[in-house]
Amino acid sequence: MSDLFEFNGAESAGWSQPEPSLGEQEAWSTVPEPLRRESPPAWPRASEPELVRHYTWLSSRNFGIDTGFYPLGSCTMKHNPRLNERIVQLPGIDRIHPLQPEHQVQGLLAIFFEMQEMLSICSGMDEVTLQPVAGAQGEFTAMRCIQEFHRSIDQGHRDKVIVPDSAHGTNPASAAMCGYDIIEIPSAADGRIDLAALEEAVGDDTAAMMITNPSTLGLFELEISQAAEMVHEAGGQMYYDGANFNAILGKTDPGRMGFDAVHYNLHKTFSQPHGGGGPGSGPIGVKAHLAPFLPSPIAGRRKRVADDSEGVGDGYWYFWRGIGESSIGKIQQWHGNSGAVVRAWAFYRRYGRELERMSEHAVLNANYLRHRILNPSPDTAARMHAMPLDGAPADVVKHEFTLSLSALKEAVGVTGRDVAKRLLDYGVMAPTLYFPMIVPECLMIEPTETESKEVMDRFADDFHKILSEDPEVVTSAPHTTDVRRVDEVWAARNLVLRHPGPE
Amino acid sequence: MDQLPNLGREREMLSAMGMSSIDELFSDIPEDIRRESPLPLREPQSEEEIWEDAKRLLGANVALDDRPSFLAAGLVRNFVPTMVGMLATRGEFLTSYTPYQPEVSQGMLQAMWEFQTMVSELVGLPVANVSMYDTSTAAAEAITCAVRVHRRKAPQDNVVYVSEFVPPQRLEVIRNYTQGSGLDIKMLRHLKNGHVDMSSATEAAGCCAVYVEQPSSFGILDPGLMGLKDIIGEGTALIVGVDTVSLGIVEPPGNWGADIVVGEGQPFGIGPTAGGPIYGIFACGESYVRQMPGRIVGLTRDVDGKRAFTLTLSTREQHIRRHRATSNICSNETLIALMGAMHMALLGPRGIERLALRVTSATEATKRAVTSIEGIELVDPVASNFREFAVKLPGEASDALTYLDSKGVLGGFDLGVWWDFMSTCLLIGADERTSQSDIDALVAGLSSWVKEAGR
Repeated sequence: MSDLFEFNGAESAGWSQPEPSLGEQEAWSTVPEPLRRESPPAWPRASEPELVRHYTWLSSRNFGIDTGFYPLGSCTMKHNPRLNERIVQLPGIDRIHPLQPEHQVQGLLAIFFEMQEMLSICSGMDEVTLQPVAGAQGEFTAMRCIQEFHRSIDQGHRDKVIVPDSAHGTNPASAAMCGYDIIEIPSAADGRIDLAALEEAVGDDTAAMMITNPSTLGLFELEISQAAEMVHEAGGQMYYDGANFNAILGKTDPGRMGFDAVHYNLHKTFSQPHGGGGPGSGPIGVKAHLAPFLPSPIAGRRKRVADDSEGVGDGYWYFWRGIGESSIGKIQQWHGNSGAVVRAWAFYRRYGRELERMSEHAVLNANYLRHRILNPSPDTAARMHAMPLDGAPADVVKHEFTLSLSALKEAVGVTGRDVAKRLLDYGVMAPTLYFPMIVPECLMIEPTETESKEVMDRFADDFHKILSEDPEVVTSAPHTTDVRRVDEVWAARNLVLRHPGPE
Repeated sequence: MDQLPNLGREREMLSAMGMSSIDELFSDIPEDIRRESPLPLREPQSEEEIWEDAKRLLGANVALDDRPSFLAAGLVRNFVPTMVGMLATRGEFLTSYTPYQPEVSQGMLQAMWEFQTMVSELVGLPVANVSMYDTSTAAAEAITCAVRVHRRKAPQDNVVYVSEFVPPQRLEVIRNYTQGSGLDIKMLRHLKNGHVDMSSATEAAGCCAVYVEQPSSFGILDPGLMGLKDIIGEGTALIVGVDTVSLGIVEPPGNWGADIVVGEGQPFGIGPTAGGPIYGIFACGESYVRQMPGRIVGLTRDVDGKRAFTLTLSTREQHIRRHRATSNICSNETLIALMGAMHMALLGPRGIERLALRVTSATEATKRAVTSIEGIELVDPVASNFREFAVKLPGEASDALTYLDSKGVLGGFDLGVWWDFMSTCLLIGADERTSQSDIDALVAGLSSWVKEAGR
């Protein structure tokens, strides 16, 4: 065990900085006396060799895509190409201040412009901003634009946002933060949108419907155009949650489906690493009528003229284009997570017009794994306590699928959580658990396009094995991890949220 | 295309499912909304072609380190120890996600718990979360958090006060985040010397929250803020935005009444990165914990009684509470916070003090040198400054910056961009890397600008 706050021997590595240019006393005297800090923070005092070992040890106790299969549904945990990490170390991105004059950031602006264009082409939207720094912030930004749009056409009374019961939690949370009331509508028996329920929910108070397609069940919404028509007829706007964009690139797009606004998760579809919880990047695209409300500024360009200083050599001059008076203003302090945008740009460049292949393989893999899990050999099936059930009936799924383990729970008392924990013993990450909430004992599985057939075969075999194991073994799993099942209730009751300090 | 392990094996996999073509997998997409033509995008590129293009495009940018730079205004030209980038990009950290399965995520969970501890120590408050997107969103969500705590009992239940010199783009973020709850944002006035006007603070007593910054956006350290909590009272949250590095030598706001402290984490862990990814710190007193936004890690034990860590208080969050969540935040900036934790741990208590002393020394030296130029005056002559100070020029600041730029100096920030009435004011920022030759270049440039224009 390594504990950061046990390091107290060294002077601390930070002591070996250059000395302040003023003498110590003179430097201290720049701070008004009552404001001078009396005692330093109780941070560890450690040398670099000690800290390198500490963080290496911590990394060995953490599971990433690099460690093994990470089929976390709705999170699109695909491989993160290493070139992208090398690129963002270049001083032309790492050492750039967002307030530098435009002639000093022509390369950055060119990349922003290319990404705006690419994202609008892929989604069928008219204008894109890269400013929102996470999917949830993209949702919030787009809902703010819709809100201001409605206010601008005297429709400010529209205060209801409709979300399906299978929606990501961020959808209702983002809309509520704008001040909207939420109407949750139940899914139909096949897990898809229920037009009758929607019909009942829409009205003169409808501001928007927020929906992801394919849904969180991995199903393409067959009646999405009809849903869009109903919402538009009532005067509402259609918002596309782009969390599942990986499934449809090049095959269809939110514009064709009738959406007015969409967010993209660059950390999902375009492989910006998830980093233990972030950073993300959540650009949004909108149709022309919403464009005047976007946060400011976005990247623009014009033909280069003689007076311009040198650009990037493509004949254009790039600039920050203000959105104008009706903009909702800033949503993040600067231009968004530029580092994530640059990584996503490098990812996009690998595929170019072949992005379609990426979605094809994501969908191929999901269907293959689903088929393998739901169709064990008769021998294997005979050994299992119960079969995994399809979360929603469908001939094909898109990039992800759901399973229900309710039959297993009924048969031997092994829950979805138990199976998830047992999977950790087999060296893979557990799928998304108990979401969407409409599927009982739900596991949500998204393999992504970067997993090989062999990895999925092994996962399916291990999955079947777990369903035939001694229930005792499964309910007490995991057995081989750094710690065994963690007591979350104790954590919430005792709230030890920081180290108490060295002994 | 080198990212697809099953390329060329599609047929084999399809036939296992009883299918013969990829198109069958997309047969559920209604025909009238199918894209019929390929995406009109460029040719795919190989890794080495992308690398060359990246070098060419990003090489067209001017990196801050390439010239004397006095541009800060919220982000800093720092030095990040080499260890940080090398360890934070270890795949086990880099390619993991939110630790929903604590049994295989103890590394990141412990690192974040240690981060929470170091932030808590730095700002003088007991609880810190694992990061917000940036200072501005941290400030905005601090306000909505404080309102949830105090609204029921506050006499001015719909009102928050915000310092009038909060940078406008931060105020815009705050307005976006608070307009949904129908808050009235009133301005807390400042005196001519840049300090907060305490009579204005009296009006704020009984509102839900007061947001101030220490140092202010002009770099001013205001000892008067230490009396603010007494004026506004227990039922009003005092939220303080800080320059995190300054806390190496400045008394932490938690020790003088702050209920919530927010700030930019960027100086610890990552370069300015064109504005992101960076991370906001968020720390608060215990009475705010159940209303705070964002993820938080708690200590616990496993079934064998072994020490363990886990995400806790999740019932505040959107994936459980949905539209009743305290925030919509899901993805945050954990990896950057990890880089920050490594940097803080390397600094240690004496290192953070020295870092802050280096910044304040550079600030003072730059201030003395610039104000020795005839015709240039401090906007707030008696104020104490950390990192930044504002000067009044004998002409437009934008003009001066263009001139300095032609001499290869990034001279600071034109305050006229933020406030029309300050178009002749320049915000000059120093940092730990400001050298005497940088200062000489700035002074030479400004002096000749003043002379050439016959000012």
